[in-house]
Amino acid sequence: MGRFWSILFLLVPIFGVGVFLWAMADWWPMQGHWLPENINDYGHVIDNLFYFILIITGIIFVGCSLALFWFLWKYDAATNTEPVKYSHGSHTLEVVWSILPAAALLFIAIFQLNAWEDQKMRRPILNSGADGIEGTADDVLRPPLVQVTGRQFEWRIRYAGKDNIIGTEDDILTVNDLHVPYGEDIVVQIQSMDVLHSFFLPNLRIKQDMVPGMKQFVWFRVREPNVNNAKAQKYDIVCAELCGWGHYKMRGRLTMESRQDFDRWLASQWDEQNRAEFKLTSSAESQ
Amino acid sequence: MSKFLLRSKFDRHILFEWILHTTMLSFIRHRCSWPLGLLCVAVLAGCGSPEAKFRRYETFAKKTGGSESPRTGLPENQWRGIDEALAGLFGTPDQPIIPAVENVSLVLDQRKLERAAGPVHSDELWVGMGLYREHCAHCHGVTGDGNGPTAPFLNPYPRDYRPGWFKFKSTPLGAKPTHADLKKILIDGIPGTAMPSFKLLPEEEVEALVQYVKYLAIRGETERRLIVLTNEELDEGERLVSFDVAHKSGATEAEKEAAQKEADERFAEQLEMIKETVSGVIGRWAEAESAAVEIPQRPAMTREELVASRQRGRDLFYGTIANCAKCHGDSALGDGTTNDYDNWTKDIIDPGKPDTTQEMINQYVALGFPEPRPIKPRNLRQGVFRGGSRPIDLYWRIKNGIEGSPMPAATPKPEDNPFAKGLTPNDVWDIVNYVYGLQFDPLSQQPQGFGNPLVKTN
Repeated sequence: MGRFWSILFLLVPIFGVGVFLWAMADWWPMQGHWLPENINDYGHVIDNLFYFILIITGIIFVGCSLALFWFLWKYDAATNTEPVKYSHGSHTLEVVWSILPAAALLFIAIFQLNAWEDQKMRRPILNSGADGIEGTADDVLRPPLVQVTGRQFEWRIRYAGKDNIIGTEDDILTVNDLHVPYGEDIVVQIQSMDVLHSFFLPNLRIKQDMVPGMKQFVWFRVREPNVNNAKAQKYDIVCAELCGWGHYKMRGRLTMESRQDFDRWLASQWDEQNRAEFKLTSSAESQ
Repeated sequence: MSKFLLRSKFDRHILFEWILHTTMLSFIRHRCSWPLGLLCVAVLAGCGSPEAKFRRYETFAKKTGGSESPRTGLPENQWRGIDEALAGLFGTPDQPIIPAVENVSLVLDQRKLERAAGPVHSDELWVGMGLYREHCAHCHGVTGDGNGPTAPFLNPYPRDYRPGWFKFKSTPLGAKPTHADLKKILIDGIPGTAMPSFKLLPEEEVEALVQYVKYLAIRGETERRLIVLTNEELDEGERLVSFDVAHKSGATEAEKEAAQKEADERFAEQLEMIKETVSGVIGRWAEAESAAVEIPQRPAMTREELVASRQRGRDLFYGTIANCAKCHGDSALGDGTTNDYDNWTKDIIDPGKPDTTQEMINQYVALGFPEPRPIKPRNLRQGVFRGGSRPIDLYWRIKNGIEGSPMPAATPKPEDNPFAKGLTPNDVWDIVNYVYGLQFDPLSQQPQGFGNPLVKTN
């Protein structure tokens, strides 16, 4: 067996890194296994954080694996004739390998603060209030365009309507079919009707648990599609928290469109919601 | 998953098939990521299912049947007759067929049925097949009896299609729903229940599923009628469409011939009865397409007129003609009458009757009947309307009533007699306006002020 185990362990970092690089390169048969297209203007912050942490953990992973390989290789019982030596350990070494990861973790915690606040705390504002300075207490926050309520097993969607207030009579109701205009700051109010769900928009780099009893907000700005691809684009909404036996059914659709198309769509939904007449002749085709 | 909840070996296999599909096929079909799909195949390989079978309608037979077979209602011999007749008319869950009667093409479409029937798989063009078992069977059951493996967890229970009653429809009480009615339920789901929206399925898949629901409903209703027919028309122990000819020992050729002739006549007569039964059921479905109730345009209103209309609606709500408050409660919270049962329960056994014992209920539960629960009148202050919240949806609910529930249809008021009891279309609109507005009443609002303390709210 000789060197067999050391070679096997050497394959772990090679294979591990290889799979990642293969997927990043989008080569057969790993197409579509790396990050999905980012369409959120603020999404690159999350991607950068992801790559940053991936590189740190990748270096540590490769380092540890190589160290393991080196020990296996050097102290292979089949080739090593020297007697076993007992070591009491090294205090310095233990301090170093405790402090280094702790420092790295602390660094990541501080380094990501800005991204966290951008995602969770600095909700887009409508205007900077009376004092004219952004970031002060009198900023007028952008009201949510739409409320998404997770329910076993679907997304109930409620647009605020003309008055920009959710829960009033001009709200527009739909299910599983979320439309938003691109090029604007969009605030979405999310909540759960029953259990823990997670509102996950992979292409917007947004993932937020919906906690029953809590009203939360997520925000994003969809990048304007380039001219060649100007028609409405559709992306997935999925539930990222196992919420029950029908978890897999909780799939929604996010449609991006221009403000004009969005307004037209919203108006058509409003008309359908207010259908107050039914004639038999029209029933055959549509109801 | 406890043995208790999975009542039969087949239940377990549906669950397996369902898990297999949702992992493996969703990877392969939707995500084009076959390495992961293959991994699932490797893990779950060998979990083959036995052939799916329709479950007998034993609860109904027990309730309507004689006393000689108290457990399942009918003797095995008669059950076989019904099984064979149904198989001849409707085929099997894997290979459905359309009964060859008049007008059936108005209601059912063989190609669409085949898309929805059978085990979950993809055909050679990667078209998803077996849609019913993929999306519906784990609640509604392979038979459409509302008794799939996940059904006991749900409240309300999934619908049992077999009596052929559907709640949310545009047609009057007693009529079948239209195709469009069923389609709306599939697309929009039923808020307030476990029925989710299937809006994102492609149009042709929804069509196939609606067809299959109709097919199961027609099959179930036919089964009910054949059970009644067996009980009422056949001799004791006689089997439907029986080929057996009893010969006395030592019968002459002439006697044998006469017996054969009599049996043939009987056979033809029964066949005719069965055919009539099925055409009766299918005819009702065909009629429904033109039976939707028309709704006159809601009067256009200014804000003040709307307030006045709601006030009139409120008066009707609490008045003696509409008397909505009797069931929906004095504050419309759905707490007026809370000890009634729906017709799916009462049809088999009514726990509300004083002479119904728990033991009697248990006998039905042992046959797969869901443990009875009282039906709740809707809490109208939540803005959750199961059959849809468009004005026309609410109008239909009030005007037509809700099939299978204690919600009655409105009595129309004759135009020429102002003193007659009843509701005019405008009265119904007033009630619609009032009921729809209740969710915005200050009393209906949830307490405010909760929220994420880290996020500023306006």
